Amino acid sequence: MNNEKYIVPTATIAEHPDGYELKIRLPGIGKDEAELHIDGRTLTLKTNTKYQNPAGFKQVVSEFERSNYAISVDLPELADPAALTAKLENGILLVNVKKRPETQAKKIAIM
Amino acid sequence: MNTLINMNPWRLLDELLDADSRTFRSMSARAAGRFPPVNVFLDDDAVIIDVELPGKTAKDIDLALEPQAVVLSDKPAETTDAESGKPAETTPAWSRRLELPFRVDADKANAKFSDGILRIELPKAEKSGVRRIAIAG
Repeated sequence: MNNEKYIVPTATIAEHPDGYELKIRLPGIGKDEAELHIDGRTLTLKTNTKYQNPAGFKQVVSEFERSNYAISVDLPELADPAALTAKLENGILLVNVKKRPETQAKKIAIM
Repeated sequence: MNTLINMNPWRLLDELLDADSRTFRSMSARAAGRFPPVNVFLDDDAVIIDVELPGKTAKDIDLALEPQAVVLSDKPAETTDAESGKPAETTPAWSRRLELPFRVDADKANAKFSDGILRIELPKAEKSGVRRIAIAG
């Protein structure tokens, strides 16, 4: 496998009342093979898997690619980059970002 | 300024199309019954099948082995029928059958999920020996 190649993974972002959930498909990538950085509101993901096809075997069907992934995402304006959690499990990376607290609707007490 | 000079504009277009074309291709593959996507590797003694199923684990997939084929299906979560109180009949969302180039030894087969990829290793079956039958008398 060409170690220099990065492909853009499939990613979706969903908005919830109090935050955003970014879901990135990274089949074959383990927790220790992915690097996530945040710089301001820019989230960058890069993987560094050393996967090789099984040695001595000939590949006869190739319907999906096993590669390294890289993607850069600007989080929405309302997102609070400091309140960010990430979990990579079974090849899916879930990044949860809360919305900035001052943007949340607040209840006003009436005296 | 350096980054502008090094940037290949066509590569940017490739990257944009990358994820989208994969989505479109996977949609048409799915319609044609090629879901989930597989990579198949062969050598003289075995076949290895990698199945791309991110987000899934062993409990979500049903794997059946025939002498010369593998059948992969979705295993929907069990639900209970509201009226009868018995487990509801469920239909798998997808099922895929892969014919193999040779017969395989079910006893030596193994399958393991790792980071959303299911790897199935199937050693070739021993050639069915020709047995001699002693004739009495």
